[in-house]
Amino acid sequence: MMKFKFRAVGLAAGIPLLSLALMLGLARPAEAAYAQIEGSGSTWSEVILQQWISDVDANGMKVTYNGGGSSQGRKNFSQNVTDFGITEIPYQGKDEFGAVDSAGSREFAYMPIIAGGTAFTYQIKVAGKLIRNLRLSGDTIARIFTNKITNWNDPAIAKDNNGRKLPSLQIFPVLRSDGSGTTAQFTTWLDKVYPSIWRPFFGRSGLTSYFPQKGKAIGAAGSDQVMNTISGAAGNGTIGYVEYSYPVNKKYPVVKVLNKAGYFVEPTQYNVAVALTKARINQDTHSDKYLTSILDGVYNATDPRAYPLSSYSYMLLPTGKKDRRMTTAKRQTLTDFMFYSLCEGQGKAGAYGYSPLPLNLVQAGFNQLKKLSVADPNVDFRNRDVSKCNNPTFVKGDLSRNHLAEIAPKPAACDAFKAGPCTNATGTAPTTTAQATSGSTSAGGAAGAAAAGSVDPETGQVIGSSTGETGATGQGSVAIPTELLAARADDTKVFGLLAVGELLAIVLAPGLCAVYFQRRSNRRRSSWS
Amino acid sequence: MVMNATRTRAVIFTLICGLVSAGAVGSVNASAANKDTFSKTKTVTREFDNGSSVDVVDSRDVTVRVDHTQNLRGRERVHIDWSGARPSAGRASDPYGENGLSQEYPVVVMQCRGLDDSTLSPAKQLSPKTCWTSTRQQRSQTATTRQAIWRHDLYATDADKAQKSGLDPFPDNTTCTDVASFSTHLTPFEAAGGKAYPACSGDTMPPESAVGAAFPPAELSAFTDLQGKGAVNFEVRSKTENESLGCSDKVACSIVVIPIMGLSCVDADRECRKAGRMSAGSSNFANDGVDAAVSPVYWWSASNWRNRISVPLSFGLAPDACDVLDKRPPTAFYGSELMSQAALQWSPAYCLRKDRFKFQHNRLPDDAAFVLMEKGEAAAAFVSGNRERSTDAPVGYAPTAVTGFEVSYIVDKPDNAGEVNNLKLNARLIAKLLTQSYPGSSLGAQHPGMANNPLSINLDPEFKALNPGLDSISREAAATVLSLSGSSDVIKTLGEYMVNDPEAKAFIAGDSDPWGMVINPTYKALRLPLDEWPLLDTFVPTTALECQKQNPAAYLGQIAAPVNSLRKIAEAVLDAWPNVQTKCDRASSSDPFKVGRVERQGIGSRMMLGITSMGDAERFGLHAAGLQTKSTVPIDAKFTSAAGRTFIEPTNASVQAAIESAKSLGASRAFAISQADLRKSPKAYPGSMIVYTAARLSGMSRADASKVASFIRISTTEGQKPGSGNGQLPDGYVPILKSGTTAPLFAAAQRVANEIEAQGGLPGSRGPSNTGAAVAPGVDAAAADNGTGKTSPTTPVNDPDQMALTAAHNSAPAGVMLPLIVIIALIAGLLSPATRIIARGRRR
Repeated sequence: MMKFKFRAVGLAAGIPLLSLALMLGLARPAEAAYAQIEGSGSTWSEVILQQWISDVDANGMKVTYNGGGSSQGRKNFSQNVTDFGITEIPYQGKDEFGAVDSAGSREFAYMPIIAGGTAFTYQIKVAGKLIRNLRLSGDTIARIFTNKITNWNDPAIAKDNNGRKLPSLQIFPVLRSDGSGTTAQFTTWLDKVYPSIWRPFFGRSGLTSYFPQKGKAIGAAGSDQVMNTISGAAGNGTIGYVEYSYPVNKKYPVVKVLNKAGYFVEPTQYNVAVALTKARINQDTHSDKYLTSILDGVYNATDPRAYPLSSYSYMLLPTGKKDRRMTTAKRQTLTDFMFYSLCEGQGKAGAYGYSPLPLNLVQAGFNQLKKLSVADPNVDFRNRDVSKCNNPTFVKGDLSRNHLAEIAPKPAACDAFKAGPCTNATGTAPTTTAQATSGSTSAGGAAGAAAAGSVDPETGQVIGSSTGETGATGQGSVAIPTELLAARADDTKVFGLLAVGELLAIVLAPGLCAVYFQRRSNRRRSSWS
Repeated sequence: MVMNATRTRAVIFTLICGLVSAGAVGSVNASAANKDTFSKTKTVTREFDNGSSVDVVDSRDVTVRVDHTQNLRGRERVHIDWSGARPSAGRASDPYGENGLSQEYPVVVMQCRGLDDSTLSPAKQLSPKTCWTSTRQQRSQTATTRQAIWRHDLYATDADKAQKSGLDPFPDNTTCTDVASFSTHLTPFEAAGGKAYPACSGDTMPPESAVGAAFPPAELSAFTDLQGKGAVNFEVRSKTENESLGCSDKVACSIVVIPIMGLSCVDADRECRKAGRMSAGSSNFANDGVDAAVSPVYWWSASNWRNRISVPLSFGLAPDACDVLDKRPPTAFYGSELMSQAALQWSPAYCLRKDRFKFQHNRLPDDAAFVLMEKGEAAAAFVSGNRERSTDAPVGYAPTAVTGFEVSYIVDKPDNAGEVNNLKLNARLIAKLLTQSYPGSSLGAQHPGMANNPLSINLDPEFKALNPGLDSISREAAATVLSLSGSSDVIKTLGEYMVNDPEAKAFIAGDSDPWGMVINPTYKALRLPLDEWPLLDTFVPTTALECQKQNPAAYLGQIAAPVNSLRKIAEAVLDAWPNVQTKCDRASSSDPFKVGRVERQGIGSRMMLGITSMGDAERFGLHAAGLQTKSTVPIDAKFTSAAGRTFIEPTNASVQAAIESAKSLGASRAFAISQADLRKSPKAYPGSMIVYTAARLSGMSRADASKVASFIRISTTEGQKPGSGNGQLPDGYVPILKSGTTAPLFAAAQRVANEIEAQGGLPGSRGPSNTGAAVAPGVDAAAADNGTGKTSPTTPVNDPDQMALTAAHNSAPAGVMLPLIVIIALIAGLLSPATRIIARGRRR
């Protein structure tokens, strides 16, 4: 604790400030009575959620959030422990252990809050250098996490990287040990796209929030700990799944995943936005799963820019009129917190490694949010206008289009299946379209700048893709580096000792030998005499 | 809190006030401070009616003091102490909420709505019905007739002596399941909104009382020592945190302190007259049953309630907040989390004015924020030091806040003697924690090369010498300090602090400490400072435990388990909830074993440390460790006390002393605070840091440039007035002033603001840029000239070429064969003269 307080001064100084502000005609908000709201759940979306929470603090809203995993979030919500929950998957009815997974008697609605890509982050060190541009097909990923591929030198991995073979290194999949929506998203994809690999491993069909831990897999609780496990010194050979924001924050590489169009792509805000245009949203307002998504179309999207493991995160909204925990002030807080998050808050998604919601979902989310004011007419929902949101996916005047998906750059030629691989480092959350396209970033020095400079601003395509490619392959920071032997650690010791020994020998041996043979010949001579 | 700091505090307080705005503000302090405290003595009694007379069986004069009671904010802690109370017995390990019920003669401290003022309307007066408890068990009881001792209360009304009491009409069985033959008393809770909760079950309690709620209980049954004294830090809740309780600037509330004396009895009922079964000063960690008559469970009974001492509170006016409907797009400043608390208070000062812009602070690692700013994706970045530029655009650094980091802690004294509020750490102890050199438990003790290291910091003789009197129970949580997983200037500064300390430096280099403790070999010779603390240990212990066998992991990494924000660390320390990830169990025998975060620490045996920002630590009232700077003790000698070592706690004075040593590195560069310099100062706090607003000096849009410039000007003037109001500087930050030690920072900020607004590139490269906006008076002329007079711009720092590292490769055959060949060659060389001699011999 610092050793003093300024409270009295604060009050005194605040009064003139306030009156000054009043004189200048400030927009004092209508007396919005807020009360603290509590939530828990997903760590997939926690990074941006925590930022929104600190943003609305300035609006007088106090929100606490505890990222204990989606399963925990759903459970807490159903037990009236929290005011809202965050989860990637809807209530499942029953969980994998036979326990009830439903909201019980609590009335609620699903509301999408953010989009993002489930990224695969990894640590592979070749000759002490971190590989940063690994590419994998879905098939290879599925076989890695089901322990069919257990070494990084597997031919399937080499094939994904256009023939570049990694050295022999054991693969350690890192799994979430807590009930996780990230795991559920990942296993849904496995179950839908690679049932023949996933189901024999899992023992049945469908998704799970608790990935079966077999073989060399390592369990870790929460996305933070998955990231720690992979990026720690003990992490060489590990690969795990987390929302893209975690590796981005840590400047850690992510796998470029092969999509149906034959390109390896990173879960940038653009590629996620493109893929999610293919999400099938439950539009039945009477369904209890209204607005939840079916992602089969996303997994199989044929756009060359689409990232296959893109998905949404959802809030569980307490919509009941007689909800035990809700009051007018709390409903107002939740309404305005989400109004901010769905609207202005989406603008910073890209910088944090997420992707903003498209307009149709923001609109649908608003309709869900409105239910709070239906449950309690004292909640003010006026003037909360969707179309004026500062959301990068919106096209002014045409709300049916997704601007972000339209400007999303095409993947570089070196990202194609039988080409490349590109040398640019992944996990840096490119926020400009130029950077997303360029085959090489600052790590590549001049080549990066050249490639970035030659991007067509309209199409996002690299002008003269051949230069992009040569630039990409010609520079120093290559994918799987050619090993240059400078020195061998073992040798220094051995040769050091040897050098000492030889030096001694060179100095002493001739003399000693001379003395020895001299004496010997003397002895012989004397014996003869 | 350390008492001797109080005087310095007062002196500096007056000083600052005088400096900030002479006159008006400065006159407030003394009287306000006195009015703020509370002290009251009351005679409390226990009485038995013996038929013919009422005898006082116990009487005490209890004095209650509270350090501050006015203008409070939500979650603020006030210090309450008392003397003259009856010594308590059967101390609970956790006195909060229902966990504190199994004690005898404790002092109940709770927050209630209303005041003890008979002139007020009944709705505004205190009553047990407006007192907050987290559980039903603390307010409503059901018992057999023999056990229902409240019905024998001397002071109870006839209504309360009835079999069913507390709520009239008594709720039916649909609301409250009740056994007809039992005696039941309800203490319903009356919410601020008027709704009454019967409080007969968890479902009929107010919503804020849910099990597993975000905030732990604040009300407690505190322990009085054998001298009749006790003290607690009580956390108050405002309307925002607890809407049902509803305390605000408009709704008056009180802290109610009830020294439990035991029920006064109207008759000779044996249960009612019981005097306790445990001896004064004893502990009851097993949670055994106690005599209800002297326990806190009947705090609401008339004879206990009349013994209360109530402390009237006032809550601060909630500051005006930004309007969520404000359509202006925000101007985002990305970067350092050290700015969080200041940015929070500053935002409304921008958004509430039409002539300003909508300021927003987005937390991001300093590096990432700087790059974002260079790319033009962010208007400005908050960073704490010079950055390598990745583009040619020159960048200006405007000092915006003086703050830093703390090593926050929550540590309990043994035998429930309260929280430790003075902890001393030296750089070597911090190095030991961060390098995972404490094994944590017998599992970690298997780690090669660490067999003789103490298991956790409280077992380390070095720590014991500096902090005597703590317990010696090994804990995994005390083997680490919760830190950041990502890159941050905080971690870099911490690294600089360690390498500039000879003891820590030698320890990291591989020397053992005087008691023989050595660094975890995986961290040996770690090159500091680093922006990001690496998790280097890979040791997986062998164990017979099935769960750990199924979940092999780097054990010491699980103990360290860093997180991605300073805020999370502050909250973990506040809740005494270590992030140690070694809990290994399964939901049922058919479920797989899983690892996860350990439970919250029990009050009485808490011990955890965390790296926090000063702003967060102040906001939550966390204790900060004193960090060692100077030492006159030889580094190889064992020591048994803190003698000869200077420990500096973060205070305004100690942070200012650090700033005083900051050196200007010239125009468009950040100041440098050298840890080597700080070590020489007997007063400077080594965790002090300057946060800069970094923005491009060319290539920005006019609008953004003028917003950033005006932000710098506003934040370094009105934003530096200490206080908790909008636009003011919160606790945990030291004001940057036009004169005094921070004057160079102020001058630099004004200059850089002008340069950013001018967007003329580096000063000097395109003529004078100091046009227009006047440099504030008092600015060092030389400093201002420094900017314009410079003819040759600073050479842009280019990224060093990034070369692929040559491979470190080992080949076992090569390691053996090559030397072998050389040895053979040597032997051959030696033998060659021999062959000649042999040949010569043969010839003969």
